[in-house]
Amino acid sequence: MSDRLSFHVQRDSFLHRLNPLTKLTLAFALVVVAFVLPFYWTPIFVLFAVIVPLSVSGKIFREFSWAALRLILPAVGFLFVMQALFQPIGEQVVFKFYFLDATTESVAYAFRNAARIFVMISAFTLFLLSTHPSELMSDLTRRGLPSQFSYVVISTLQIIPQMQAKANAIIAAQRSRGLDTESSFLKRAGALGPLVGPLVFGSLVEVEERAIAIEARGFTSKRAKTSLYEIADSKFESVLRWSLVALVVLSIGLNLWHS
Amino acid sequence: MAFVNVRNLTYAYPLTKQPALQDINLQIEEGEFVALIGANGAGKSTLCYALAGFVPHFFKGELQGEVEADGKLSSQSTLSEWTLNVGLTFQNPFNQISGAKYTVFEEIAFGLENIGVPREEIKVRVEEALALTDIRELARRSPYSLSGGQQQRVALTSILVMRPKLLVLDEPTSQMDPVGAKEVFSAVRKLAQEGMTVVMAEHKTEWIARFADRVVALKEGRILMQGAPREVLTSDLLFENGFGVSRYTSAAREARRRGLWTKKSLPVSLDEAAEGFGAIR
Ligand SMILES: Nc1ncnc2c1ncn2[C@@H]1O[C@H](COP(=O)(O)OP(=O)(O)O)[C@@H](O)[C@H]1O
Ligand SMILES: [Mg+2]
Repeated sequence: MSDRLSFHVQRDSFLHRLNPLTKLTLAFALVVVAFVLPFYWTPIFVLFAVIVPLSVSGKIFREFSWAALRLILPAVGFLFVMQALFQPIGEQVVFKFYFLDATTESVAYAFRNAARIFVMISAFTLFLLSTHPSELMSDLTRRGLPSQFSYVVISTLQIIPQMQAKANAIIAAQRSRGLDTESSFLKRAGALGPLVGPLVFGSLVEVEERAIAIEARGFTSKRAKTSLYEIADSKFESVLRWSLVALVVLSIGLNLWHS
Repeated sequence: MAFVNVRNLTYAYPLTKQPALQDINLQIEEGEFVALIGANGAGKSTLCYALAGFVPHFFKGELQGEVEADGKLSSQSTLSEWTLNVGLTFQNPFNQISGAKYTVFEEIAFGLENIGVPREEIKVRVEEALALTDIRELARRSPYSLSGGQQQRVALTSILVMRPKLLVLDEPTSQMDPVGAKEVFSAVRKLAQEGMTVVMAEHKTEWIARFADRVVALKEGRILMQGAPREVLTSDLLFENGFGVSRYTSAAREARRRGLWTKKSLPVSLDEAAEGFGAIR
């Protein structure tokens, strides 16, 4: 089973050293700007003038472009084609697919939407690649987010590897009792039925034990928690965050004024 | 005065009639290493929960008697106060993984973060604990990628790092191979020598005989017998009550029945058995 449980890639870079909240604010700000600034090329500008250079300076360009090309582009491409064909606007037909027309206008419209979505997903991909989830949560907890809330978020993110580890254990156990898990897919799918029970009901029963286990390690202790990670923050970053907020407000203002 | 005092403890889980523990009286000295043995359902885990304060603070139900440790009564403390002094690991290591951490190192640090230990001290203590249980090489792995035995070591380490005065371990080596189990026993022995009080539910009688100070045998929620490991583990009483003891003991007992085993005491380890059987010729 894979050891990678998060998207996070450990590198020593300017981007990695930024405070998690700064990066989160930046991601949100980029998305808002890409969506509301009333200039056609804004999303493309944000992508190539901000996100891509950040991924380079963050030393995660390779991982980022892998995600962008293999995961985001196909999804966004599909969205583009759909919107170009189905959006009933414009006169100038550039492409015909049975009874569906893509017009210059609908293509332009679909392109802008696709670019916006692309920016949205890639901004958060960049954020996830450069931010350790535990650091994000410790930082937010330090700023007053209840620790129970961070626990729920983080442990939800871990459900998949947890389920996977458990499924492996159950499969091993069932196999040792003669359950067929190696022949054809259909046969296996049928035979794996018995796995569902322990996997689901097991989880419910285990909740109690896990609750005791984290209790045994002081989870509900009244003392102020500390964090293994030193999470950097500075006056500069605080100024940067407020500037980003200002930028968001400004963009929204411009959008309202423009329309 | 004893460090742990269990007095007339009787406890039944909610909605059950048959008590899981009945009239338990147990005194444990500081720095003593006590092994709990008994068949499945004998009440070992329940006694561990009672020592660790989860009975009655987490598991409700009917409780009589009291548990005292370090001069305080569990019923008079809150659970979080109690767990600062008393550490517990569970039978199933998988359910002890906090689920909130990505590496073993972070997982072990979790408890220290919760009780507000300063960062630099956390790092030092985690390193020490990793060395103690010999799992330094797992530090960067995900807790979910580990084998059951490795997870048990991580679970043990994440409690040890909290430096409890009383360490309660519920079958901590059940998923380990014999060598790994022996290492855990020997690490625990060392901790006891340094003053930690240890209660361990276990089945591996050979290591119990070698490392523990005392054995408490539970049957159907009651203490059947307790005393020095060798005496208890080779006793007829345990044998008559169907306890699974070491095969060396069983073999010698059978040999004694046939008049072959002439030594006064029965063996608990391979070496003793070999010696005794060697003398038969
Ligand atoms: N959560 C529970 N609710 C009700 N009964 C329980 C619970 N846990 C254990 N028991 C019962 O208590 C008795 C003692 O169990 P346990 O302490 O787990 O024994 P052991 O650890 O020695 O196998 C058993 O009869 C068991 O069925
Ligand atoms: Mg048990």
